[in-house]
Formats: sequence, C-alpha cells, structure tokens
Amino acid sequence: MKNLFTFVGMALILALSLFLAVITGDYGPWYFAWLVGTTMIVMIAVAGAVMYEKQDAESQDKTGHSH
Amino acid sequence: MDMLINPTVVELSRLQFALTALYHFLFVPLTLGLSFLLATMESVYVITGKPIYKEMTQFWGKLFAINFALGVATGLTMEFEFGTNWSMYSHFVGDIFGTPLAIEGLMAFFMESTFVGIMFFGWDRISAKAHLVVTYLVALGSNLSALWILIANGFMQDPRGGTFDPNTMRLEFSSFVQLIFNEDAQAKFVHTSIAGFVTGSMFVMGISAFYLLTNKRKDIALRSFRIAAVFGVISTIGVVTLGDALGFIDVKAQPMKVAAMEAIWNTDYNTASAPWNLIAFPDKAAGKNLFEIGIPYVLTPLLTHSEDTVIPGIHQLVDEAKPKVVNGIKAMVALKEYNHDHSNVQALATFKQYQADMGYGFLAMQYAPDQDLKKVDASNLASVVDKTAHETVPNVWVEFWAFRIMVALGFIMLAIFAFAAYFSLKNEVEKHPLLLKVALWSIPLPWFACEFGWITAENGRQPWTVYDMLPTFVSASSHSVGYMIFSLIGFVLLYSSFIAAEMYLMFKYARLGPQASHHGHDKAPAGGGMAGQPAFAKPSLAKK
Repeated sequence: MKNLFTFVGMALILALSLFLAVITGDYGPWYFAWLVGTTMIVMIAVAGAVMYEKQDAESQDKTGHSH
Repeated sequence: MDMLINPTVVELSRLQFALTALYHFLFVPLTLGLSFLLATMESVYVITGKPIYKEMTQFWGKLFAINFALGVATGLTMEFEFGTNWSMYSHFVGDIFGTPLAIEGLMAFFMESTFVGIMFFGWDRISAKAHLVVTYLVALGSNLSALWILIANGFMQDPRGGTFDPNTMRLEFSSFVQLIFNEDAQAKFVHTSIAGFVTGSMFVMGISAFYLLTNKRKDIALRSFRIAAVFGVISTIGVVTLGDALGFIDVKAQPMKVAAMEAIWNTDYNTASAPWNLIAFPDKAAGKNLFEIGIPYVLTPLLTHSEDTVIPGIHQLVDEAKPKVVNGIKAMVALKEYNHDHSNVQALATFKQYQADMGYGFLAMQYAPDQDLKKVDASNLASVVDKTAHETVPNVWVEFWAFRIMVALGFIMLAIFAFAAYFSLKNEVEKHPLLLKVALWSIPLPWFACEFGWITAENGRQPWTVYDMLPTFVSASSHSVGYMIFSLIGFVLLYSSFIAAEMYLMFKYARLGPQASHHGHDKAPAGGGMAGQPAFAKPSLAKK
C-alpha cells in the first residue's frame, strides 16, 4: 500500500510538473527558466559537496588525515 | 489636480523612498540566496547522512535568522509608505499595484514566516526529510515574496493588465494574466532572485575563507566554501545572462532608459558598426557626451541580439515625445471637463481619442501656468511641449555609471567565483591564501551590485512612477516640507539602527563561528553549532 501511495504521489508531482512546464513554457519562459535553473544550481552544488566527501575519503585513505 | 504640487515635497518623497528601498535591499538578497544555500547543505545532510552538514545548516541558519528578522522589519514600513507619501499613486494604480502586494503578504510572506519557525525550532521534532521539505519551503517562500514585489515593480516599468476609467480616475484591472506574465516582471524576478543567490554565495564563501585563514573549523569551512563556490559560479553566469535578457526587453519597453544607460544621444543608422560606450561623461544640459570611449560593432548585437535593429538616441526619443505631449494636453483638458460634467459626451470622446498619451499631459502640468493645462494656449504651447519632452530624459550620468558599476562588479565576482570553484574542486583552496583574502574582502561586492542595479532600474524609469502613464511629479502626497524632512530623518535614524544591529550581530556570530566540534564528524551536538548560542536555538536544546 505504501508503494502505491508513493507511486501515486510521484505521478501527481510529475503531472503537476508537466502542467507547470507547459503553462510557464508558453506564457512565462523566464519563470520556467528560474524553476529549471534553481533546481540545477542546487543539484550541482549538492554534487560538488558529495564530490568533496569522496575526495576527502580518498585523501584519508592516502594520508590518514581528514577534514 | 487643482492643488499646486510642491516639487520640494516630491523630491523629498523620492529621496525617502529611495533610501528606505536601498536600506531594505541590503537585507533581501541575502535572504533570497542564503535560504537556498541552507536547503542545499541540508540536502547533502539528508543524502549522505553526515551530521556535519546538519551542523553547517544550523550555523549558517543562525546568520540567516538575524538577516531575516531585520529584513522583515525594514520591508513593512515600505508598504505603508505608498499610502502615506504616494497617495495619488496609490489612488491611481492601487487596484492593480495593491493586488500583488496583498498576495505577497497573504501567500508568500505567511508561508515563509510560518515555515521559518519550524525550520529553526523543528530539528528535533520532525524527521530529517520533513525538515528538509520545510527548509525548501522557506527558500521558496522567500523567493515567492520577491516574485510578487517584482511583478508589482514590473507593472511600474511596463504597465500591462490595466485600463483607465475616466469615471473613477483610476487604472483598473483588466487582466491578471498580463500582470503576472509581464515580460519585464519575469526577467526582473529571475535576475533579482539569482542576484540574491550570488549574494548568499559570496557571503558564505567569504566567511568560510576567513575561517580557513584563521584555522577555525576547517571541516565546516572547506565544505561551505565548496558549496558556495559552485553555487556562486553558476548563479553569477545566470545573473549576467538574465541581465542581458532584461536589457533586450527594455530596448522595446523602455527605449529612453536604454538610451540613457548607454549614453546614446544621437541615433546611429549604421547599426552594425554602432559603438558601445565603455566610458562616457554624459552632460544632460549640453545633450552630448563630454568625453567617450566607444567600442565599434558591439552596441547593436549586445542590446538587440541582431545587427540591423536601429537603437533610437535620446534626441530622437525627445522629438518623438513632442506630439505625445500635445495629445496628452488635449486628453487631460478633456478629462477635466468630463469630470466637471459627466454628461459631456464630446469631452469623453476627445479624451478617448488621446487617452494613450494621457501620461504626457500629466507630465506637462508642471510647465503649464499655475499647473493648469487649460492655460496652455498658442502663445506658450511650444515652450511647454519642448520642456515636457526634455523632461522625459532621466539623469543620464547616474544611469550610465550605475549600470556600468553593476556590470563591472558582476564580471569581477564571476572571475572570483570561477577561480574559487576551480581550486575548491581540485581541493587546493588552502594553498591559495590570496584567493581566500580576495574572497573575504569581496563579501560587500554583491550588495553594491544589487544597489546599483536598483538605481539603474528606478532612475532609468524617471520621470515616471508608471512608465509613460503616471509621472512621479503627480504621484506624491501633499505633505508639508517640514513633515517630509522630519519623517525622512526618522527613517534614516531607524534604518541606520537596524543596519548597525545587523552588522553587530553578523560580525559577532560570524567571528564566533561554529562551535569547535568535540564530537567528531558523525555526532553533531543537539542544536549543532547553535548549542549554547542565541535564544532561537534554546527551545530545541531545552527539550533535551
């Protein structure tokens, strides 16, 4: 049952996203750009932090020292 | 309209609004950017499960809280200022302008304020994922607040969605869709919001650089520096790109602003080779640049993204304004007659014929004898028209240099973020103390860029409060000069005390930094870096 709710929830988010993309894409291209751009900026910054953890772990393996 | 308008009161009202807006915007961009940086840090916490990211979120959240509280305090007074100092403006466009402001208060501000409480006090009361959702909602709410304000500002820059009703003497709503999807509002929101991201990034990166230079909590400093540098470099590219988009929109919507921004006095019909003024000393009285250094072949593609679009110069735009002033005078005289007698069908018909240029009639009032357009006749018409047409030119010197300072700061910050991201991604940032010092001392740069950006936007809109429709001259309230000076001094003292409080608290808690970790990386203290710190952290600690 939990999986079903998760699936339905995700499907609703997807439908809402598509609706927003169509509406804002047609009438508000810069709003759409903000939604996509902000998501992208956050995701790349998160990826940068995750990359830091990997580099730190590798450095710890080599030198035994970590931040 | 029969009351004589005192230009000193208008200038003092302008000065008061400019000062309060510029003060307020010292707080806003940090809230816009830091909220999403907190969401980013907390996302890493939820993804990796490393408590240090929770501690980072809580520490930077503490500085966010100080800024948020003072930002709200300075913003509230501005909304009242529309009613107290700009009553004619509020009467004229309140129907349209008040709507986004009300939505901002009811939707975005309430959302932001509600969730900010859960964000600070809910760490130990809700799950990590739920808390992350709350942090994102705070970030979204902050930026939605900005959205509605900028929709209101977009209307002032390029009025859409309203129709003037001669019976009520008000501009009334005709299309909500046109209001919110106004191109100027869209581009300005994205440009301003992303400028906030740049501000937040520079703030976090600069303070992290300070900790690295002083060997304080390097674990938090290095991670914060990485996130801020990456966040900042992409945001700065975005803000430059969106600034270009805003300029492109303004070429069509506000040609006089663009001409002043680039100090273009004469139209250059050799569009491809038209020079872009890198440096100029514009003289409005002389109607030319006293000195200029131009780079050929740059202007047209830069502003219009083409090689053959003609960009009108200030002199051409002044000439084009003259027939509009003549029509505007006819519209205003007819409107006055219609207001005296609503059965005067002829007056209504004349007004409707020239309604499109009504704003120019308003603008001409200041040059009419006794500010009465009925007293404009054949003997003084040419003089009134000429003076009014020249009045449509904003302060070119201020416009040109405010714009250039903003752009220069944008590119300087892009270079700093690019180097910072490069060395941070190579994990070599500690080997470059000069970069760390530059990052630290660059903290004020985004604030200067934001302030000069607003000066460019608002000075360039002059002499209008609502572009081409309602002049600043007739928008102000009819206060006495003494009242305006008294309230101006009061606002300056009050807002300066807010700035002093912000600076004191920011310096205090930033210098103090996150508490030294006694728990290793895997066990952040309850309340994280907030433990034993300011009052807003205590409820969650008390529970423990």
